[in-house]
Amino acid sequence: MEEIEKAAEEILATVKADKEKVMEDLKKFVEYGVPLEQAKEVVISKYGEVTKEKKLKDIEAGERNICTIGKIIAIDEREVEVRGERRKIYRGLLGDDTAVIPFTAWKDFGLSKGDVVRIENASSSEWGGEPRLSLSEWTTVEKVDYDIELVKRAPQRYNLIDLKPGLSNVEARGKILSIEEREVNIGGEARKVFSGVMADETGKVRFTAWKDFGLGEGEVIRIKNAYVRKWRGAPQLIFDENSTVEKIDEEIVMEERATPLHKVVEAGGGIDLILEGTILDVRDDSGIIFRCPQCNRKLRDGVCEEHGEVEGVADLRIRALLDDGTGAVEVIMNREISEKLLEKKMEEFMEVAKEAMDYSIVHEEVVEKLFATPVRVKGDSLPSEFIVTIFARDVEILRFDKEGEIEEIKMQLEGLQ
Amino acid sequence: MREPAWRVFAAEYNEANHVIEGRGEKKPRYVLTPLGAKVNRLFIAGVLTDVEEIGAEGIRRRARISDPTGIHVVYAEAFEPEVASILADMEVPSYIAVVGKVRIYEPEENVLYVSARAEKAKEVSEEVRDHWIIEACRGTLVRINAMRDALSMNEATPKQLRELGYPPAVAEGVSEALKVYKDIDVEQYEMMVRDALSFITTGKKEIRKDYAAEEEKLLDIIASMQGEDGAIWDEVMEEAVKQGMERSVVEEVMVILLEKGQIYEPQLGKIKMV
Repeated sequence: MEEIEKAAEEILATVKADKEKVMEDLKKFVEYGVPLEQAKEVVISKYGEVTKEKKLKDIEAGERNICTIGKIIAIDEREVEVRGERRKIYRGLLGDDTAVIPFTAWKDFGLSKGDVVRIENASSSEWGGEPRLSLSEWTTVEKVDYDIELVKRAPQRYNLIDLKPGLSNVEARGKILSIEEREVNIGGEARKVFSGVMADETGKVRFTAWKDFGLGEGEVIRIKNAYVRKWRGAPQLIFDENSTVEKIDEEIVMEERATPLHKVVEAGGGIDLILEGTILDVRDDSGIIFRCPQCNRKLRDGVCEEHGEVEGVADLRIRALLDDGTGAVEVIMNREISEKLLEKKMEEFMEVAKEAMDYSIVHEEVVEKLFATPVRVKGDSLPSEFIVTIFARDVEILRFDKEGEIEEIKMQLEGLQ
Repeated sequence: MREPAWRVFAAEYNEANHVIEGRGEKKPRYVLTPLGAKVNRLFIAGVLTDVEEIGAEGIRRRARISDPTGIHVVYAEAFEPEVASILADMEVPSYIAVVGKVRIYEPEENVLYVSARAEKAKEVSEEVRDHWIIEACRGTLVRINAMRDALSMNEATPKQLRELGYPPAVAEGVSEALKVYKDIDVEQYEMMVRDALSFITTGKKEIRKDYAAEEEKLLDIIASMQGEDGAIWDEVMEEAVKQGMERSVVEEVMVILLEKGQIYEPQLGKIKMV
């Protein structure tokens, strides 16, 4: 009985209905031996048409049939491939007086920034440990004709290395390493944008300013109310007319410090990264490969996707999995880096392979040399779908200072006392 | 997301008796250790002490890899013939590195044995093994700190632990471990890290303690349980633990007895005195 009452209350938290009736329905199902969890779902769908609106802060990951009211704070459009089909999706931020959460719309609801909307039958999933609202085919979105208050949040201060796509109301500081002006066309209107790279003690990030803040190279600035998007496989800090930018009199000394891989994975990439980890896999297509002489694409069985059967040009490259125990990324090494790391020229590998009449022998040698080897990688991430992929600018084998490491761990242990 | 490969000492990993089912399409399974490592994939480096053929086809292999704290049991399954043949060709003892997924054996409710299923394996240098010990120490230390902080708070949510600067996976694992493990002995793990460090500084090979008393005790247990076809390994383990032996010690002593030829395995999972 108590269980039924508890279940009824849980149901009433999501749908509008009479408690007595809900309990009666539940009891009926349970008497017939329907498990309580199932009975709950049946009852929810029975009353589901009149859904109660939820505050955004109450939305958790993995919910369905969500009804809520919010204001579109930001929205942008991007093209993705879904089951081989190009589709436009819309991503942005939705806010009310309790929270701001990211959303994805899988079709065009005709939304624009500033709209206040009532959303019915949305669902939520987990993204970066936080809930994300998903608006699908079955979701209805209606604009309402009143404005709503937005939650006043203290801006969150971030180190640049901790910026990840989807963050909003960001406060950050950094030194402008480079900046350039260009013109873009938005809805038939030419606008000036300024983009470049900025850095703090923890790392570097690309930025775009949608307004002329009069910024120049070498200046140290503090930005408030910026947000972060993903661009070309790395986070990008964006500030616009809603943001404030002030020049500050501070010095920034950049440190050459390795970033833990879980941070790179969470951010979905990054630029000018220093990474340390162990090579735990060498992909099968590492070693000698053949490229198309016209477009440089990797050939498959002597055939280029674009130019058909061609006389391939040999190249040496390595695709390796780098793992530091907290995260894993893929690292692509070109010929120059591969030769340095393997201490052997491509020509020598070619000869060995020709003698053995088998190019896979080179792959075996790469595995032999690199599997379980700790390395330090410098590079930038590339756009990729499944795993963060780093294009290496330099890779070196990590010679670790055993005594030093032991001393450091001992000191930490003493610190526990 | 590709699951990272945790560097976890055998003593901590083998004590795990809780499994978490992950979300998402593939529903990955995680072994949760008492110190909050939430492991789906492992990276192990240590001394290969034993490789045996198991199963009728003789393709599958079971290997034992010793680290300074205990023994990792690693399986090479029939669908990974490359790994199985690498194990078969390696000399014992030698240094080995293995990347593997968690392997969970649950003979009955609330009884759980964890090991690893190898995806990759290769003979490595002593330096790689030492580096692994350092990494395992560092990782363990992060969890020790997180667990201490969590224990000092009333109710440590993953979010609170993240705010203290712990990586998300550690924050989640520690918070979950607090819920399912009682009386987590953090000091025991500090001792473990200390021992592991002194193991590489002295540069000595495996210091094997004198297990004479434990050997006798285990033989008595086996004798009392073996019947006609041998005693069931897991039941022997349970009984030994009940009598106050540590799981990692039982494992080690079993291997010693197997090596000495005092016991043998008439079939998989059973042991009999010679």
